[in-house]
Amino acid sequence: MLVTWRYRNRNSFLQSLDPRAFLIFYACYIGCTVLFWDLRYLAVLGGIAILAVLASRIRWSEMRRAWLFIGGFILFFSFLTFLTGRGGIELYKTEHLLRSYRAPFTILGWRPELKITAERSLYALSMLVRVFSLASMTILIPYTLNPALYGVAFRGLGLPDKIAYGMDLTMRFIPTLGRDFSLTLDAQRARGYEIEKLSGGLFAQVRKLAPLIVPVTIHAIVGSEDIIDAMDLRAFGTGPRTWLEELHYRRRDRLVIGCGLALLVVSVVLSLWGFGKFWVPGFLIQ
Amino acid sequence: MNRKLTSVVLSLVAVVVFFLLIVQIGAMINPSLKLDQTATLRFVFVIIGLLAVFGVYYFTRENSMLEVGTRQVVYMAIGAALYAVFSYLFNGTVFVVPSVSQVALRPAIAIPMFFGYAFGPAVGLFTGAVGNMFGDALTGFGLSPQWSVGNGLVGMIAGMVWLFEDKKKSVNTVLIVSAVLAILATVIYMLNPGTANMMFFDPANNIFGDATISVFAAISIVVGFILVLIIRFAWGSNFNLSAAVTWSMLGNFIGLGFAAISDIWINGYPPAVAIVGEFLPAAGPNMVFAAILVPILVVAYEAVQRQTGR
Repeated sequence: MLVTWRYRNRNSFLQSLDPRAFLIFYACYIGCTVLFWDLRYLAVLGGIAILAVLASRIRWSEMRRAWLFIGGFILFFSFLTFLTGRGGIELYKTEHLLRSYRAPFTILGWRPELKITAERSLYALSMLVRVFSLASMTILIPYTLNPALYGVAFRGLGLPDKIAYGMDLTMRFIPTLGRDFSLTLDAQRARGYEIEKLSGGLFAQVRKLAPLIVPVTIHAIVGSEDIIDAMDLRAFGTGPRTWLEELHYRRRDRLVIGCGLALLVVSVVLSLWGFGKFWVPGFLIQ
Repeated sequence: MNRKLTSVVLSLVAVVVFFLLIVQIGAMINPSLKLDQTATLRFVFVIIGLLAVFGVYYFTRENSMLEVGTRQVVYMAIGAALYAVFSYLFNGTVFVVPSVSQVALRPAIAIPMFFGYAFGPAVGLFTGAVGNMFGDALTGFGLSPQWSVGNGLVGMIAGMVWLFEDKKKSVNTVLIVSAVLAILATVIYMLNPGTANMMFFDPANNIFGDATISVFAAISIVVGFILVLIIRFAWGSNFNLSAAVTWSMLGNFIGLGFAAISDIWINGYPPAVAIVGEFLPAAGPNMVFAAILVPILVVAYEAVQRQTGR
């Protein structure tokens, strides 16, 4: 079973950045988005997210599955919020009715009614934009960050040597374990185990997954003894570690980090002054 | 005072100075610009939260339980790789395992639980967090920091069993805490469809709630909990088993609860939606996996330990 990474060299602006710079910008971006509920401010942040997606040069066909999954999620929650208006109660006290739909039928003497208010619509819209911006930035990461650089990047961000090396080791094991899994699956199939046809209730189905999961796990653990010995023999952990790839900040990285931090500081200041709260356009309240 | 502590104190001082500056400058530009109360409160809470995390790290880092040697690094890497590969494979990308109701089979969660129990909290934390990160990277879903931290917590808390000398006492403590949490979550679910909205009474939510989050998913939390109770008393003689399962259960609640609730602030979901829409469908089925797969792994690993003598 081929376990492949989504990352591909695309010669895009985002990929030319130092991964640390992008991660720092991402953290600042999350910090900013969390602070605001005002649709106008969120739209600005959403614009930044869209720019980032466009600058990444990832094709739609590659990202499609992630977007469909997350998009469905977002739409579902926005719709649910819109219908029930829950959560918005903390943000607005009075509601201005735009339209009201009454069902022509009654259920047990009660008539279902759908109230569309200005506040509720704006709340759903604001939440949609907010979640969408966050989702865009998160989806970018697997496609723009070279997995080979994860360890170095986190080391550069301050993680201890051993932990950062652990990330590199994880990356090295993934294809091996994928192959082990494939072997185990075939071996079990030869013994009559069919994963596509698991029957029984939930508990039985879970129990029947054990013949796949347990052998791979135990085999990996037992095999690790050799690796531990090999690392110890090469004096792992006795001194500071160097990496094959070296990360250096260039001018564009400093720019991106600077922008991110500036954005964060401005957002914090604005929100501390009370700007950016939930907003409904004046013309809807008339 | 070592370097890290000094830098934290300096940052704190900088934050306070920054605060005062805003107040001053704001007043100078526009006399009506004052510090907004709720925003300030939230800011202060975040700073306190970060300090708390740092405090825990600072005071426990000498503890031998958190010691990371070569052995731990390799176990961490294997655990994370296993979690990543299993998440990727069972996320529906490679094969679709027939699922019951809406409970998609995601047995991968048993890995951080087992690794935390077998090798300690540090290994569990790394397995959950980094494994989740790589798994999401492989599937292409995108890296959500709060879910990585939540998964990391699952592994870390499953490893907390190492803190207790007496495994039996630890198990009983956990059972009580988990019972409370399970009841809380189910009560919130039950309350919400029934709660009358101030604006209008909406069984629309009732109908919606039942169709999309099927009652089965919500009840699976309670079912999983009962399963764990059964295991605890059925395998009463084998404390390792019951300790592993109960701590995994607690880790599941706290870790995923943290992720779902932090989504209230990050994504802006209303609390009811976060709990019913994210926490219950994820935590509930995970309990079932904890109850069934983790014991199997523990027994298998014990057999290996007997064989190799380590």
